[in-house]
Amino acid sequence: MSARLEIADLRVAYGRAEAVAVDRLVVEPGTLSGIIGANGAGKSTLINAVANWSRAEPRVAGSVRLDGEELTGLSAEARVARGVQLVPEGRGVFLGLSVEENLTAVASAGSGRRAWSVADVYALFPRLRERRANLAGSLSGGERQMLAVGRALRMAPKLLLLDEPSIGLAPLLVSTLLSTIRDLVDDGLTVLLVEQNVHAAAEVTDVLHLIERGRLVAGGPVAVMRDDPRIVEAYLGANHG
Amino acid sequence: MNVAQQLVNGIVIGHAYALVAVGWTLLLGAARLVNFGHGQMYMIGAFVAWWVMAATGLPYWLAVVAAVLLGAALGAVMQRLFLRLTLSQDLVNLMIVTLGFGQALEGAAGLAFGPKPQTLASPFQEMSVHLGPVWFTVQDAILVGATILVFALLYLALHRSWLGAAVRMVAEDPRLTALGGFKVSRIYMGIFAFEGAAVAFAAALVAPRTPILTSMGFDQVVMTFVVVVLGGIGSVLGSYVAGLGIGLFTALFGALVSPAYTTAAVFALLIAAMVLRPGQLAASGSFAR
Repeated sequence: MSARLEIADLRVAYGRAEAVAVDRLVVEPGTLSGIIGANGAGKSTLINAVANWSRAEPRVAGSVRLDGEELTGLSAEARVARGVQLVPEGRGVFLGLSVEENLTAVASAGSGRRAWSVADVYALFPRLRERRANLAGSLSGGERQMLAVGRALRMAPKLLLLDEPSIGLAPLLVSTLLSTIRDLVDDGLTVLLVEQNVHAAAEVTDVLHLIERGRLVAGGPVAVMRDDPRIVEAYLGANHG
Repeated sequence: MNVAQQLVNGIVIGHAYALVAVGWTLLLGAARLVNFGHGQMYMIGAFVAWWVMAATGLPYWLAVVAAVLLGAALGAVMQRLFLRLTLSQDLVNLMIVTLGFGQALEGAAGLAFGPKPQTLASPFQEMSVHLGPVWFTVQDAILVGATILVFALLYLALHRSWLGAAVRMVAEDPRLTALGGFKVSRIYMGIFAFEGAAVAFAAALVAPRTPILTSMGFDQVVMTFVVVVLGGIGSVLGSYVAGLGIGLFTALFGALVSPAYTTAAVFALLIAAMVLRPGQLAASGSFAR
């Protein structure tokens, strides 16, 4: 059986500057993988390239496969139709739309996949039900992230790409949100998560990849990676253990 | 001076301004795009309706339908032609190419329809209603009613429908819209088609009030620009209020001061508004209100 996501020889460049050069990255179905690394290491560039989405205009080359199907050349919306769903960093919802509109105004999920209903999303995040009529612009940062994840689930992703969901959130909210995502993975969802908060990522992921200057320099099961000296020194430091 | 009659005239002219501007309002509000070929599309709408009636003998209302369909097609073609500029929101170049597109339309219309003024003969222009001291034509009443209906439907569609939500999404963040599984260029095409259909509809309703000329497009684009800017760049309700206000202003100014200076006076009003309340006029992303 082929992997849920398989990246080969991926190169992403902005102008002349190469931002990401990943020879191989595999995500197995039903797992939660994390990409960790410093600011500017290329984490976001990497998962944006999987979705073929960016606010800039990068040049992307290489192969991205979903369940063995080559995605190269497909637009972002065509990848959404096939089940690749990105929640981008920062703004993942429409501030001028109500909470409920954010959940309803999505394209229907591709055939053969059962999308989450709006009621399912409210059951997962009861807070959103309370604020269903409010504009998304009036939500707190944590509520916006819940809404962004809920909106993504409405399109029945096979692979959910989350770019820094914890950014700007209070520590308690970070662990609540990440444990919700862990529960979704335990129910069968496949997630690739970009996270600066290495402690939080190590708590919930199955596999961790370390990216430095656009290249994957280490990767493996989280239990092993926790003790990797490069991660301990650079990211976990004295707080570890 | 019959003040009541001037008010009626102002209301009718104001609704005409608003209806002519509604397409551009959506275009600017949702897509952040401009179309300086708007006036010539108005002219084409009027001439197509005229031609359908003159050449085929079809009734007026079918000519209106034909003009609207052709207007929608013209809008969609424009979006295809200028696809790259629309997606990159290259406003300066889009202004120039749409001006050029308008000139091409005007030239083509001159060749096809000739230089003579024509009359779009709506049967409703011949029927008048007298109410006490005021009178208006049935065409005027239809124009006012249709304008209110178009604005109300547009407002409801934007706020109560899935498609309207998609338009508001594109207005707020086109890139993010793609992640909702939407083909953004398709939504832009729909907005351009609406712009073309709306201005052709406006032309088919407004044009019977005066003789039509293939060179009349530029005046329309000027007035539309004033309505859209005064309405608060891209605001749907703002454009309605601005159109109505300018209509009343021109009618009263024409009657009280001089009809020769109304256009200049409207621009003075625009400049005053831009100086006094610039914040109100800025494109703000709140167009759907």
